[in-house]
Amino acid sequence: MLEVADRPFASDTDHTETTAAPRAPRPSLNAVNNWVPHDIVMRDSWFPLAHDHAIGKKPVRRAVYSHPFYIWRENGKAVASEFHPQEIVTREKSPYTDAHGRYPVIEHYGLIWGWFGRPEAADPAHLPSLPFLPPNGGLPKHMTATIRFDCSAPISLENLIDLTHADFLHADVVGDEKSDSEDVEVFYDSETITMVRTLVNKSVAPIMKFFSGIRQPTQNVRQVIRIYLRSHCAIAYGRFSPGDDVPLFHPCTPESRDRTRMEMVMNTSNAGLMFRHVMPKAGYKVSRQDSSMTNPQSPRYMDIDPRKDLHSRFDQAGQRYRLLMMELAQRQAEGDFAYRDNVSADCSDIIGLRKELFRF
Amino acid sequence: MASPWWKVARSEEVTSAKPLAVDVGDQPVVLWRDAQGIARALEDRCPHRRAPLSRGCVRDNGWLQCGYHGWSYDGESGRLKEIPNMKDEQRFPPVYKAIAYAVAESGGFVSVNLDKASAPPAPVLDETFPLNGTAHVSLSQGEWVDTLFDDPGLVLDIRGVQFTPYLMSELREENGLLVMERFCQWGKLHLPSYATAEFPITLITRTRPDTGETQAVLRDDSFRTLLTAQIAPVAAARGVTQVRWRARLGEELKGRHALALRLKGSFAVRENVDAAALRVLIRSASHRAQQLREAILPATPVSSDPSVSPDSSVSAAA
Repeated sequence: MLEVADRPFASDTDHTETTAAPRAPRPSLNAVNNWVPHDIVMRDSWFPLAHDHAIGKKPVRRAVYSHPFYIWRENGKAVASEFHPQEIVTREKSPYTDAHGRYPVIEHYGLIWGWFGRPEAADPAHLPSLPFLPPNGGLPKHMTATIRFDCSAPISLENLIDLTHADFLHADVVGDEKSDSEDVEVFYDSETITMVRTLVNKSVAPIMKFFSGIRQPTQNVRQVIRIYLRSHCAIAYGRFSPGDDVPLFHPCTPESRDRTRMEMVMNTSNAGLMFRHVMPKAGYKVSRQDSSMTNPQSPRYMDIDPRKDLHSRFDQAGQRYRLLMMELAQRQAEGDFAYRDNVSADCSDIIGLRKELFRF
Repeated sequence: MASPWWKVARSEEVTSAKPLAVDVGDQPVVLWRDAQGIARALEDRCPHRRAPLSRGCVRDNGWLQCGYHGWSYDGESGRLKEIPNMKDEQRFPPVYKAIAYAVAESGGFVSVNLDKASAPPAPVLDETFPLNGTAHVSLSQGEWVDTLFDDPGLVLDIRGVQFTPYLMSELREENGLLVMERFCQWGKLHLPSYATAEFPITLITRTRPDTGETQAVLRDDSFRTLLTAQIAPVAAARGVTQVRWRARLGEELKGRHALALRLKGSFAVRENVDAAALRVLIRSASHRAQQLREAILPATPVSSDPSVSPDSSVSAAA
């Protein structure tokens, strides 16, 4: 049995913190069929570019929407420039860097974040809340990985927020679609969308069967996907009973319009020894399974297609995600880059984090 | 839109010893050098009995002589100059001529324009590209260029280089050219590209939207140029693409894999395309290319050659 609820957070109707900007008319529900994710460019946002352990004195290359970010450390502090230190500069300076071609950078949660947008608007207050990660980093490297998706970032996130795909595409990792009941709730504000999926007596995830020693045939599952729209960052938090808590930081940094980079962090500190080490590696397998579908899917969204997508009740979260992204993109196109909701406020309660497991 | 200049031959291929048959699409063209060493181009069809002029010979005075009945033509104008059996009558009406095409030569390539009145292309920088070759590919010119955008590894072979699906900067318009930069790996044991954090090299391509002529620059992560290639894909008969290329290595090659580029065969255009891989190649960059071409071609005159600024850095645009 599937139950679906779709509602805004209470704060969505009360945007008193940014009273200056009038609200643009929202795209209609029908707009989900005019979804061209490749045309969406989000500005004034922090994007996770690298794990902190990956950055040393030698510049490494990253990109956000094809804008080059060269990152290295000066006196131990991370810096990001649009120009390589060895580059003979012949191109014009980007409007998204300061007079020296430097982007605003911040180091937090064990990641290097680069600001893409007006440099003067860079503010740590716009960093997404990731309460299951230690603010100063320090998780073991085996809980981190760099993985790429062969599709545009919004396509990858739309894939993530509809977890019914996992029962088919990733059945060998997380189990099939069989359960006694399934309940989906969607919450959103102007900067985030959160999907909560609750399953009773779901087939036990094979990876937990083999590496966590779960002997029961079924388990209760609560899965949360929370997406920070602007930064294309997601939290994927699964609570399995019996089983472990698996909080995953799943950013989808848009390196180019049709390719996505994920600097993944999965905090499995509280799981058993085997599961702790194996589960983060599942990302390599799962990402290939996702790309097998999203790669051919992605170019088919490069233009508006007169043939509309078909939707089911299961697509509620994905549809809402499309609408919110289009609404935000529309606002930005009109020159409104203000944050109307606070993305750095602790989201532990929203995602149902068992705080006792993640104290830093 | 002005008729484009097509790089139909490498300079070495055009001689005064033997005519060379090439195509521009379905138009056969014969090339040779006259007595002054100037490259000439005529329609590869004798106006007398339609025999291919390329099956004739180049006379000592630089005229091209048909191998069928011996009629001789001047390369610059295409005018008939001599009929062997009519040696007493050497003045022929102006209509007695083969179709002559505009010819230009620079940068080690011979270019032809089917519109004789076309202005000559701007000369390219005087650089030496010692490596060169020609490949015939059973793929249309448009598909060949699209494949170059979507997966260069199907059409190019650079020693030790593996092309990834990931872009440092996606295809965009820059000075009238289609420019992109692709991450590459050295062909050694390493993680698959989707799970690799850093890539040691990139391939920058600058492509003319009309002819598909491309400058490809292989660069390492310290901004050293390892290899520069000029690639000219020209549509030929029956859907075949003739690809001429010239290449040179960078002055500063560091590292085992970069040094291995000095070995013979460091760069080649593939004669055979893996059709099974091509069939399932997802259109990504090439989709963007079509949009850009439509935006660029009616409006902007493109740079005369993608090699005009070979060491200029790639800028970025969303």
